[in-house]
Amino acid sequence: MEPAVEIENLTKVFPAHFGGRPVRAVDRVSIRIEPGEVYGLIGPNGSGKSTTMKALLGLVAPTSGTCRIFGADSLAVDSREQVGFLPENPYFYKHLSGAETLRFYGKLCGLRGKSLEARVDELLELVDLVEARDRRLGGYSKGMLQRIGLAQALVQEPRLVILDEPTAGVDPIGSRQIRDLVLALRERGITVFLCSHLLEQVQEVCDRVGIIFRGRMIREGRLEEMLSIEDQTELVLRDARPELVEEIRRLIEAADGAELVRAGRPRTTLERLFLRETVDRNE
Amino acid sequence: MTARHRPLNPRRITVLAYHTFTQLVRMKVFYFLGAFAVILIAANFLRLPTHAAPEAVGVQLLYSIKSSCAGAMTLFSIVMAIVATGLLLPKDVEDRTLYTILAKPVPRLDYLLGKFFGVAALIFVSLLVMDLLMTGALQLRMGGVLEQQRAAGEAFGHPPEMIEAQLAETRALGPTWALQGAVFVIFLQSVVIISVALLLSTFSTSTLFTAIVGFLVVFIGFFQADAREAYFHGTGVLGKIGSAIMTTALPDLQLYKLIDAVIEGRPLEAFDLLKVTGVTLFYFVVYTFVSWLVIARKEF
Repeated sequence: MEPAVEIENLTKVFPAHFGGRPVRAVDRVSIRIEPGEVYGLIGPNGSGKSTTMKALLGLVAPTSGTCRIFGADSLAVDSREQVGFLPENPYFYKHLSGAETLRFYGKLCGLRGKSLEARVDELLELVDLVEARDRRLGGYSKGMLQRIGLAQALVQEPRLVILDEPTAGVDPIGSRQIRDLVLALRERGITVFLCSHLLEQVQEVCDRVGIIFRGRMIREGRLEEMLSIEDQTELVLRDARPELVEEIRRLIEAADGAELVRAGRPRTTLERLFLRETVDRNE
Repeated sequence: MTARHRPLNPRRITVLAYHTFTQLVRMKVFYFLGAFAVILIAANFLRLPTHAAPEAVGVQLLYSIKSSCAGAMTLFSIVMAIVATGLLLPKDVEDRTLYTILAKPVPRLDYLLGKFFGVAALIFVSLLVMDLLMTGALQLRMGGVLEQQRAAGEAFGHPPEMIEAQLAETRALGPTWALQGAVFVIFLQSVVIISVALLLSTFSTSTLFTAIVGFLVVFIGFFQADAREAYFHGTGVLGKIGSAIMTTALPDLQLYKLIDAVIEGRPLEAFDLLKVTGVTLFYFVVYTFVSWLVIARKEF
């Protein structure tokens, strides 16, 4: 099967300006994403994440190397038929309402008439903006803008969705909504390529991740393989009596070579606590 | 490339043009029409000093309505063409809306043409409304002026042929087809200016830069023919080449000054109109082609 994304030895050097030095934003990066995967590209600010995405969308031309989307060269207009893109902090046109925004992008992709209207309704429902459909984007909150942005990215039913910092500046509730949408996309078999520096979210939704630093891919692989600590084993017990815990402890001490590293109550995250105390309580 | 993703797709360009038109309308640019109505009303009550004979009474009024309206139309179309065009592209880049558009299967040439036709449509509609208002005012006023002139001619005992000749002269100052042609020439001039502003905004990153350079190009354009004559007259083949380069690089807007003659009641020759239309098409194609060359290689 043809990979959804195939980036081979991508290098991007931005020329020097006003006597400065050329900037090597991306240095021989290769990424391959199979259809249906959720791939996260993580790295600090300025590490080359956005440039890699822009090269994949044909917004910047590679200095060397190639980018392909379902086999089509990403510099060709045709390749964009299969792609939906949500840029970092998008503003969109403030004079359009939510429904008008989706209609505009839908028409650009060749949708017309009843099929377009049906698609607009479906997407507004998907991103939970039905009630705000006729409100101009100038009055949308940051989270609503991100969701309408995600909806426009999906308007032509693309097989690949590229999300650049999809939760940047969004509060934890909006952030969770976007995370749930990404998970819904995965359920529908849509390939997702996202970049973020919010590591916990990447961890929650991605199948594979790549770590990019100073333009170079320094580590890449399946998330569970990368995160598991090879020489440690985790046991999580529910309703265990203290005697049982003590017995396990004794067994470990008696065993040759094994060592108890940590025991105690597992902790939730601050985000989960916040959501449980706010949204989940209302539900 | 599949057929529907080739550049110059009329449906896609229409979508982008309609969107640009809506964007500008919602930025309340049509408020300018209110200012135009005020100018029109003021022109109706303007009493210019006149040396016309009593039987030519009212001619100055028609002249004042036409010249005020034509001036307002020219000013509006130039300002709109430069500022609106110069605003759209940098704003799309700054707000990153351009990313979302170019991330769809939209060729960059279609994007440019969509912006162009959107601004052109806005100016066309505005000129049409202003033209209708001007024509209506002229029609209303001319009836009264003709009556006054006929009465004055008869009071002075002028022969009927002389009175008719005077009335024919006055009718030429009213809402003629030549006047409609002249308004169309104002529109053609704005087409050239939009093309220039679009070209400037492909490599500029600010509206201010595009506006300043755009107004400079327009200013030079009005004197370009004189400068060309002064620099290249009688300089042989090299002079002709230099003249051609200058005419291509900077639009010759002196060609569009046909409206001045029409305001004075002179007819607009079909050949002149055709010539101006041809020149406009030439500038549009050249500047749009260069804009496309710039934006096709531009990185965002």
